[in-house]
Amino acid sequence: MIVGDLTDEALARLLSGPGLRLRTGPLVTRISSPLADIARGIALLYRDHEVQPAEGFADFHVRIDRPAGLRRWLKPQVQFQFDGWPPFYPLPGDQGFPILEWGLNWCVSTSCHQYLIVHAAVVERGGRALILPAPPGSGKSTLCAGLIHRGWRLLSDELTLLDPSSGQAVPLPRPVSLKNASIEVIHRFAPEAVLSPTVHDTLKGSVAHLKPPVESVNRALEPARPRWIVMPRYQAGVEPRLSRLPKGRAFMQLVDSAFNYHLHGAQGFELIARTIDACDCHEFVYGDLEQAATLFAGLAAEA
Amino acid sequence: MLRELEDGLVVRNAMTGSTHLLEPLAAEVLGLLLSAEEGMTAAELAARIGDEAELQGWTTSMEELLLEFKRLGLAGPVD
Amino acid sequence: MTPLVAALRDPRALASWTPSQWEMLVRQARSADLISRLAALLEDCGLLQEIPAAPRAHLLAARVGRHAHEEAVRREVAQLRKALAPTGVEIILLKGAAYLFAGLPAARGRLFSDVDILVPRAALSEVEAALMLGGWATTHHDPYDQRYYREWMHELPPLRHVTRQTVLDVHHAIVPPTARLKPDSAKLLAAARPLPGHPGLKMLSPADMVLHSAAHLFLNEELSHGLRDLVDLDSLLRHFGADEAFWPALHARALGMHLESPLRYALRYTHRILETPVPMHLLAAPASPVMDALYLRALQPDHPSAADAFTPLARWLLYMRAHWMRMPPGRLAYHLAVKALRKREEAAPAGR
Repeated sequence: MIVGDLTDEALARLLSGPGLRLRTGPLVTRISSPLADIARGIALLYRDHEVQPAEGFADFHVRIDRPAGLRRWLKPQVQFQFDGWPPFYPLPGDQGFPILEWGLNWCVSTSCHQYLIVHAAVVERGGRALILPAPPGSGKSTLCAGLIHRGWRLLSDELTLLDPSSGQAVPLPRPVSLKNASIEVIHRFAPEAVLSPTVHDTLKGSVAHLKPPVESVNRALEPARPRWIVMPRYQAGVEPRLSRLPKGRAFMQLVDSAFNYHLHGAQGFELIARTIDACDCHEFVYGDLEQAATLFAGLAAEA
Repeated sequence: MLRELEDGLVVRNAMTGSTHLLEPLAAEVLGLLLSAEEGMTAAELAARIGDEAELQGWTTSMEELLLEFKRLGLAGPVD
Repeated sequence: MTPLVAALRDPRALASWTPSQWEMLVRQARSADLISRLAALLEDCGLLQEIPAAPRAHLLAARVGRHAHEEAVRREVAQLRKALAPTGVEIILLKGAAYLFAGLPAARGRLFSDVDILVPRAALSEVEAALMLGGWATTHHDPYDQRYYREWMHELPPLRHVTRQTVLDVHHAIVPPTARLKPDSAKLLAAARPLPGHPGLKMLSPADMVLHSAAHLFLNEELSHGLRDLVDLDSLLRHFGADEAFWPALHARALGMHLESPLRYALRYTHRILETPVPMHLLAAPASPVMDALYLRALQPDHPSAADAFTPLARWLLYMRAHWMRMPPGRLAYHLAVKALRKREEAAPAGR
């Protein structure tokens, strides 16, 4: 059963009662929340995601609710709770869905240490994965959102999970988070794309979330072998340019971008070495999303 | 743990747990230190690697490099 | 019996648990800081592969950090030895670091954030000076906190290394000198054993190790890791207790160190909760229904699923009791007042 099979009432009842057990890739999260915009956000952006029966195993228990206290009535807030405990301060009341998404990212990055977790987007085409590590503001999410509407499958827009035993990237397809100008860019680039309403004045500016294409969700159990590592950078007005990134620097980039590198020790070093060996490594500058997509299509065709 | 790549040597120092990228020159120096049976001075290292005519300049650079190695825990002075 | 306690008592049965049971177990183990221990126990039984894939992923994740943690602790202790070598002071490792270096079963899956050491009180300034030279800096800069640690507790304020950011706790006794019970630190130092293969490092004698763990748990104000500390005690008692001569020596030592009360509680509750094999005559001390009611609740995992209506009160009462046991009434009131004030200050909005 998928979320889309539930009526609005049934979904709301699950969320405010026993919890909705939502599958995302290898993980199942029990989400509970009495808030209407959480139910709306999930119905819209997780429509194709599988709902698990109550007897299965849930990896995480999370709750989004108003924190207790007087502020409830004065100026409503929302808070994310991980199994009864809040890891973050509350946020303004309209930021319920963003806090759910950030909270789910937090769950993965603090718990899933069986993988090497790299702060990067990862997409797949022809059985091969393209990893896009980049600091915030480099345009990686926009590029990722664009590519998944031009023939690439989404594995993740934020958290690349590398399996140490197989060396493959494990999918975790979830809504792609877009900020500020990117929101409008993606609206125009992919008019068919489903986006949440924009939430303003968050810590990251204006934020909206993009529903992952149904194929990305349906193929969530198919890992992919890394083939390219590309560091993107958006710069208005420039022609798209792909230049080779020396592998030593690419290696260190993965080390710096991996949240839990220190936990993996020697095994982490080996995994990155194998990944670098198997990949073509580049830096990429682009000013136009369509041109970028064309260039990457060419890259996929060559390999 | 080491891996030689086109632009240098990636090293994981098991003693500190940290990973570093060494440029080719630094990599060569580390290689010499690892394969030597006893310690080497900055001047000896410079002589092995550098230009005969500019030995003084090389020795100074070598001392700076060795200081950096000490800071990173990759090599240290022997008594 | 909560799932976590059942699992700790009988890890072998876990292969047949349902996904729902595993779900509750993982939640409790995570909140009790015992998931790494659980993973280690299953690994030691050779049962890790029998566990269903979804919960097994959490156990494997816990295992990944363990090796890194061990290496980090060994590095830290090596640095510590280097820094303190000029002082000639003997370093006695305590708790987790000691279990690790002694290769005790208690070390399996035991994660800890600080390294704890014991040094003679007379050498404290010299040790502190040497550590500062080695890059450790004091934390808790507030003068009240400094006094609290130095004068009223049994340790220097925790030291944090400037580059490695690791924390070191330097103790000179295992209970505060202001406490009503006063074990003699000189006796602890005299009975300390060398750590084989690690010159210059020592550990407490087996009986003292158990007594320290018991004192830490039953005189400590924070019981949020009570079950984890009980697991340590259970492991130490099973390991050392295999030698019959250990038990009378333990009892005699407890008397000599004025630690009969913490030992009595330790034996009673490890036996009750974790089924630790303890000789019957040592369990014969009269039970207090009140203390039972308090401790049997407070030692459960600190998770909503393991609490009942009385658990918060139980924890609070034991918190009060622990403080009472560590400092005279006048100081206690002052300390609690300051602590309460501090919490209110911290709770004020941080100005986002």
